[in-house]
Amino acid sequence: MEQRYDIAIIGTGPAGISAAITAAARNKRVLLLGSTGSSDKVSKAHLIRNYPGLPEISGDALAEHFLEHLKKMDIQITDRKVAMIYAMGAYFSLQIDQDFVEASTVILASGVSFGKSLPGEDENLGRGVSYCATCDAALYRGKEAVVAGYAPKEESDARFLAEMAEKVVYLPVYKNADLEAMPDNLFPDRPNIEVRKSRPKSISKRDGRMVLETDEGEIETDGIFLLRESVSPDKLVPGLVLDGNHVKVDRAMATNLPGFFAAGDITGTPYQYIKAAGEGNVAALSAVSYLDRQK
Amino acid sequence: MSVKKIDAPEFEAAISKGVVVVDFNATWCGPCKMLAPVLEELSEEMSEKAAFYAMDVDDNQGVALRFSISSIPYVAVFKDGVKVDESIGFVPKPQLQAVIERNL
Repeated sequence: MEQRYDIAIIGTGPAGISAAITAAARNKRVLLLGSTGSSDKVSKAHLIRNYPGLPEISGDALAEHFLEHLKKMDIQITDRKVAMIYAMGAYFSLQIDQDFVEASTVILASGVSFGKSLPGEDENLGRGVSYCATCDAALYRGKEAVVAGYAPKEESDARFLAEMAEKVVYLPVYKNADLEAMPDNLFPDRPNIEVRKSRPKSISKRDGRMVLETDEGEIETDGIFLLRESVSPDKLVPGLVLDGNHVKVDRAMATNLPGFFAAGDITGTPYQYIKAAGEGNVAALSAVSYLDRQK
Repeated sequence: MSVKKIDAPEFEAAISKGVVVVDFNATWCGPCKMLAPVLEELSEEMSEKAAFYAMDVDDNQGVALRFSISSIPYVAVFKDGVKVDESIGFVPKPQLQAVIERNL
């Protein structure tokens, strides 16, 4: 098993990059996860006027400076997506695809790109709504399920579920380009998967069954699987306490979970690059002192 | 005490007396794997207050159906044979401990 990281940082916007720089300066073993081109929100910004030392800089140029800084400090970006983070007590276990990586502390700086839950989704989570097809497939033997896949890679989960379930309705909730590129016969090997190009609207229960309202009418089924690209922080990190839509933090950027910190837009407004960078710095220093206390 | 793996024939006897915690899981479920060591720790620390069992839902579908389990990990708390509480999905140790403790 590979060595445990001191600090896992999720996100490569100003908060994550700033945290990584400070953590590396303190000689911590850092895992920086995110997009190798910094965050879209930075690189696509037109003009930033309030970043000290860099007047009237374009987002593109700021992202370049960020990446240059990482390079100078020999910090690599690992371009992989974290599916779940488990608070194990003395450490955190990060599920990255099917692999598990361990870190003593985590700084969550992944921004606010996650969408809102569907009406009825949160109330029925674990009671007919699931985010994990591989987990719950066995409970759908001989039953029906709807899978809403928010990216083409979720098709394999629909296929897996169809091995157990009697019938699966698959909703490709894709971006337009992916939807256009999708073949007419998506699951030629699985006659029990029906594809419907409609988008989920809301979820309810009726006579013990689940009802998914879509933009093209409702579907009655036994279970609804929502397989999204990004989920809200309390679903990414079970047990994490939120404040509205944001992660609840104190002035040290500490969350309710010991050793778990958050920084940047995910902690709340103002959504400013320099505020994010400042919080990343605080979060890294807090993680460092947490690590020192554990020794 | 540790978490004892049981199957359907042993289930009734296992939950019949006192506070009993049953972890319903499956081998390929990632969150279940993460929750297992948490329950193992709790079973050691709370050995005088509750008994801990684990059950594979794939091997014991009848029991899973009886409690209408549609997502795992699913932790059920029983008191003298009656289900009194539940916790669905991975939860950190302090939260899971609180679920058990409020039923002692």
